[in-house]
Amino acid sequence: MKLTKLFMLCFLSLLFSVYGQAQDIVVKGKIVDEKGFSIPGATILIKGATKSTVSNIDGDYETKAPRNGSLTVSYIGYNSVSENISGRTKIDFKLVLTSQELQEIVVVGYGTQKKSVITGSISSVKAKDLEDLPITRIEQSLQGRVSGVFIAANSGAPGSSSTVRVRGITSLGNNEPLWVIDGVIVDSGGIGFLNQSDIESVEVLKDAASQAIYGARSAAGVILITTKKGKAGKMSVSYTGYTGFSSPARKLKMLNATEYATLNNESRAASNLDIQFPNPESYGVGTNWQDAIFNKSAFRLGHDVSISGGNEKSTFYVSFGMLDQEGIVATDVSSYNRKNIRLNSTHKISKIFTFGQTLGYSREKNIGFGSNNEFGGVLSSAINLDPITPLVETDPTKANASPYNNAGVFRDSHGNPYGISRYVAQEMSNPLANMQTMLGNYGWSDNFVGNAYLEAEPIKGLKFRSTMGAKLAYYGGESFTPVFFFNSSNSNSINNLSSSNNRGFGWNIENTASYAKSIFNHNFTVLIGQGHYVDNITNGKGVTYRNLPITSYKDASFNYGTPQADIDGYAYVGSERVVNSYFSRLNYDFKEKYLVTGIIRRDGSSRFGSNNKYGTFPSFSLGWVVSKEEFWKENKFVNQLKLRGGYGVTGSDAIGDFKYLSTIGGGRNYTVGTSGSVTVGFSPNAPSNPDLKWEETSQLNIGFEARLFQDFNLSFDLYNKKTTGILQDIELPGYLGSTGNPSANIADILNKGFDLELGYKKKIGAFNIAANANVSYLQNEVTFLGNGITFLSGGAGYQASTYPLTRTQVGQTVNSFYGFQTDGIFQNQAEVNAYTNPTGSLIQPNAAPGDFRWKDNDGDGAITEKDRAFIGSPLPDYTFGLTLNIEYKGFDVLAFGQGVTGNKIFQGLRRLDIANANYQTTALGRWTGEGTSNTFPRLTNNDPNNNFSNPSNFYLQDGDYFRIKTIQVGYSLPVTAIEHAGMSRARIYVTGENLFTFTKYTGFDPEIGGGIDKGYYPQAKTVLVGLNVQF
Amino acid sequence: MKLKNSSYLFFVLGILLSVTSCSDETLNVEPPKGTPLEENYYQNEAEAYTGLIAVYDILNKQSGGFDNFITMLNAGSDDHYAGGGSATDGAGMQSFSNYTISSSTIPTSFWRHYYQGIFRANTLLEKLPNIPMDAAKKARFRAECIALRAYFHFELVRCFKNVPLITSLIPASEIYSVKQAQPEAIYAQIEKDLAEAMDALPFKITNTTEESGRWSKGTVQALLGKVYLYDPSNKKALAATELAAVNGTPGGISQYGYKLLSNFSDLWVISNKFNSESILEISHTDQGNTGWGNWGSGSDEGNSINQMVGIRNYNRSSFSAPDYAAGWSFNPFTDAFYDIIKTDPRFAATVADLKSLEAQGKITYEHGYQDTGYYLKKFMPMKSDFSTNGGNGELNYKQNIMVIRLADTYLMEAEALGGTGARAQALLDAVRARVGLPTIPVSIDIILAERRLEFAGEGHRWFDLVRTGRAAKVLASRGFIAGKNEIWPIPLKELENTQIVQNPNY
Repeated sequence: MKLTKLFMLCFLSLLFSVYGQAQDIVVKGKIVDEKGFSIPGATILIKGATKSTVSNIDGDYETKAPRNGSLTVSYIGYNSVSENISGRTKIDFKLVLTSQELQEIVVVGYGTQKKSVITGSISSVKAKDLEDLPITRIEQSLQGRVSGVFIAANSGAPGSSSTVRVRGITSLGNNEPLWVIDGVIVDSGGIGFLNQSDIESVEVLKDAASQAIYGARSAAGVILITTKKGKAGKMSVSYTGYTGFSSPARKLKMLNATEYATLNNESRAASNLDIQFPNPESYGVGTNWQDAIFNKSAFRLGHDVSISGGNEKSTFYVSFGMLDQEGIVATDVSSYNRKNIRLNSTHKISKIFTFGQTLGYSREKNIGFGSNNEFGGVLSSAINLDPITPLVETDPTKANASPYNNAGVFRDSHGNPYGISRYVAQEMSNPLANMQTMLGNYGWSDNFVGNAYLEAEPIKGLKFRSTMGAKLAYYGGESFTPVFFFNSSNSNSINNLSSSNNRGFGWNIENTASYAKSIFNHNFTVLIGQGHYVDNITNGKGVTYRNLPITSYKDASFNYGTPQADIDGYAYVGSERVVNSYFSRLNYDFKEKYLVTGIIRRDGSSRFGSNNKYGTFPSFSLGWVVSKEEFWKENKFVNQLKLRGGYGVTGSDAIGDFKYLSTIGGGRNYTVGTSGSVTVGFSPNAPSNPDLKWEETSQLNIGFEARLFQDFNLSFDLYNKKTTGILQDIELPGYLGSTGNPSANIADILNKGFDLELGYKKKIGAFNIAANANVSYLQNEVTFLGNGITFLSGGAGYQASTYPLTRTQVGQTVNSFYGFQTDGIFQNQAEVNAYTNPTGSLIQPNAAPGDFRWKDNDGDGAITEKDRAFIGSPLPDYTFGLTLNIEYKGFDVLAFGQGVTGNKIFQGLRRLDIANANYQTTALGRWTGEGTSNTFPRLTNNDPNNNFSNPSNFYLQDGDYFRIKTIQVGYSLPVTAIEHAGMSRARIYVTGENLFTFTKYTGFDPEIGGGIDKGYYPQAKTVLVGLNVQF
Repeated sequence: MKLKNSSYLFFVLGILLSVTSCSDETLNVEPPKGTPLEENYYQNEAEAYTGLIAVYDILNKQSGGFDNFITMLNAGSDDHYAGGGSATDGAGMQSFSNYTISSSTIPTSFWRHYYQGIFRANTLLEKLPNIPMDAAKKARFRAECIALRAYFHFELVRCFKNVPLITSLIPASEIYSVKQAQPEAIYAQIEKDLAEAMDALPFKITNTTEESGRWSKGTVQALLGKVYLYDPSNKKALAATELAAVNGTPGGISQYGYKLLSNFSDLWVISNKFNSESILEISHTDQGNTGWGNWGSGSDEGNSINQMVGIRNYNRSSFSAPDYAAGWSFNPFTDAFYDIIKTDPRFAATVADLKSLEAQGKITYEHGYQDTGYYLKKFMPMKSDFSTNGGNGELNYKQNIMVIRLADTYLMEAEALGGTGARAQALLDAVRARVGLPTIPVSIDIILAERRLEFAGEGHRWFDLVRTGRAAKVLASRGFIAGKNEIWPIPLKELENTQIVQNPNY
């Protein structure tokens, strides 16, 4: 803190320094903004004296000036004002904010541009759109607020990342956009360290014409994040804090104990097995496992403080932030904590040189458990466990007998063991016991991301800039696994303590030269540049100590003198990835009416062999501001209109390292000799492919931007994006005997669609109304997969099913759901017997009444794997968002919602190989006799008709949803009430997150990234109260 | 301090140029250490040895990973059901057990892994001539490679019948044009390879501490005899000759030192690795530290059968019940099999009688799919065997698997002899005498009945039925279709974009 104080003192002393002048009259005055707040640090230029002064902290100024001279007052973000002195000694100034719409500046990569002259398709989110929103991760700030970007949280666990797709599925491999934070490229896994309050703007480059400046890594979109900088003059201190509680938005409706016993009996009886529960009613309601793990009041707390300011020479922005968030599921083992510090500053060293830097540091601590996994864990267990097993076994005779007498059975504070199911075992465990084994475990990370640049402007308009950026991350985890006994299939007899430590480093140097010049309304900006990027300088180590003389994580330590035989360790080093780049860009416009942008970038990547190291990525785009033409009559309907279009090529090298070489792989071990130690074996991996090269994405974008009826802003883009030579591991015929698969440039994918953004802003009386809506439509189609290849083998697997759930096939959406189609249920034996092929034999000889009638799609008279068909797409057709802001006097209301339509979700929550696993209540609507159901088949243990084991449309549900993400109501205290405390703003608010979701989906949450729901950690419903104060 | 503008310009340009000069060389990143390139590998004996181990690695297909040979073959026989947790637990086994097996349910690894072994053998065979090393060792490595390659081809041909014969590395241009070979040609190559390897291998493994598990002449000769027995062009006489050399005097010690263990149950004592009855043995260890992530990957060295045949949710309430570790309940014995073995002296070592333990109230367990209460004792995991080294204990069982043991070669020789004659009788008697059973007149039927009891659960039964033409009749009630189910369907993926033709009727 001492340093910061010193820092501020320096600036303050600069602020107060006033230049004295002789022989003129003294002029004094005050500079205020529209609302009457004083503006410190405004520049007062005295005409005819080529000198200036600045206003002090109270907005007052005093200067000597010629009696008949004039004063011009300017301040960043405000229109300049001039007044003739005319002998006056007191002149006050009122500055008016410059119109935001006209002057909006957009970050475009290696520079900024006025929005009005941009020819590409770029969506922005600015700090003011996000102000006061308690958003915990940067991806969420984009969700629903920009068009053309699909975002879905990967999990509702605190601190979880989201899936981000810019204009569809660009590739079969990596579809992560390139994240660039203040010029430093960080991988998507590394953006969690950012604090939302530090963000000035987020720009999404959506079309090739704007992406091409990032060339080889930009095909999946580029997201530019600019952090806040200080502003000259007015020092500003801002505090935001909020706190509140989260609860589950929805629970699954599972069978209660009586229902479970009834259905279990029915299922066993149908397979000629003895029933297990002769008297179902005797079990009552039983255990609700979800209630045991869900927390209705998970706590969340955030604080952010920032201080910014500066003068003409130096500006600074310092911030501190912290976030504490508990999860709504198994809170003891689900929470997130983050602490941030940021320091950004710029310094004008001399007339020519400017130095600037950004540096962010964060510490994250993540406590969590795996979810969306059908193989056990807290959530999956709660879904699959039978409701008959008690949460806690309180009967003392049972509690001390088998299996509760095993070592490692957990007990509650009363000494009663957590119930162990007799019926559902395997990976499923009592979630309360399961939690005990994870206590004290956590993952951590320290991130440093920053850059520094030196810019020289030797003559006006000519700028040289050298930037060095780096990202250093340390991350790891600590975990203790005690001796435990969940059930006899799932136990651990020796405790262990593990720790891992990793370090990742990446850096880049970029040098650019740009020259901007206007000659007779011809405006040029030329940029040339060069970059060198190195990342994945990674290594890590981990160690596990077994058999510590302790029973609780509280006592866990590596200091127990564990013998060597009980210590396992590992270490690894990553392989560097290097990219060398050269790029240039030309922006030209005539009277800001005819706009031209051309970009060319050449990238070389270490991921390719010598014959294909370099790729070239050009783009070209044009714009025409029609409304500036002479013939364009001013009218009430279309106030402004810009047409634009562009075409370009971008690339991706997102594939493993050294895929172009033939490598030798280990792990092909065997045990030789009698010692039992493993002998290592090595053999060649996949055949090499020295011809590997970039995958290329070419995109055509046509759009317009318009202001309509004064108050509406509309932008619309149509695009056609084709990726060719997609890098993909190709599965070779098994008889080749390779281990692993080589990579090759195969497959083409087409994405086409439109993005529409509509904004409205109006002041009606005392009401300030702003609304924004956006809609994106996307169609994704695989157009080529190699000569003679119509589909790719593989696809997402599901439990022990032999059939992949998804298939990537020419003419279809990438990874579409592929499975059997049901055609109702056989209501009686006559219907089974009637379902015959032309030769008269039964199409489904194993079927009985109550079983699905499968569609015999290939018409061969039998149900085989060839009858599978495309049954739905996991990708939505439409994604949309809606934001509404209303301000009335001191009150403000924000409502924000987003949603998707047109996608399917595969709901695979129940374990098929555990016959006794519980069902959702939808199973109550099963077929139990003629006419009872035509959608939910009978229950049987052996499932001879594969009703449940065949992946089919039975498991698919519509994924459409609309969710009110945020509702916020705030009240700002009147200025008069807070002025005396030196505050310029004091606002309190209440926020509700995820209060309403409209969906037909029956799982926890329709907002899932992957399309297959194996028990996602659901999003929470949250109510927060917050406070914003500004000085 | 005013400098001319141009000085600044040069200064900045200087920075620009100095960095720009990091040219293409910077893109040539060193391959990661620890991942050698193929072109630089196979330089010495140590590297060649790792290449040889990679070939042996594939032997684990018998008993490692989820898709292992023995539990699969058991599931398809009349002695076992597939079992497991439910009708969908292990689609490969389930569909083989009820004869709905198809190209999409047959686990691809049964095809792929053996070809991986063949590829690794061919790779080393190609590299060996240029590796500077001791000539005798080189000859031994070579013999092991061709013998293992022959064995992998044998498993492929007897399972799938119509398979490609791969005896050299396939050039890139021919990747998709490989065709299936005639089974006769494959058998001929296997027999040639084995015969050739036999003489270059050590007569028997003498340095047992270091080399147990590697193949000797005895191993390969027994294998050759077995191959002759399966050869469709009737080479039973050759089979008898080879097997006689392996067996020696029935009940005695053979020239390779093979001898029946006097106590049948000792065969299933885990510490009895590489005992005198063992001829072709797959080794497992609890020191592989296998986790779920690398299970079935080749770096796992545990015996999976133990875990698979263990009992679901087994809990004992009485200390007089065996202290089994829990498992997944695969391969329960059928009631019919129980009825024929219940009075046999091998019963206690073969069948874990959960039914009786449960009836006595000594245990509880989850009745898995197709539960009969009778499980496979030979491989039943004990809690004391549960590995406490790294990884997951259930994936690191260390029981070895005898793929060929002397009792097997005895009975195979007797079968090759047509099930008649004094030697056949003596061979049969030796097997029976070991468990205290009296002599009975030898015949093919008697030999097969003996094999069924002797090798229960060891993965032989299904092939015994198919080889002797009895499968269609015995397995009819399971859904076995004659002319189709004698061989497996070729996995779907192998047919995509290749010249491979599916087996008849699949």
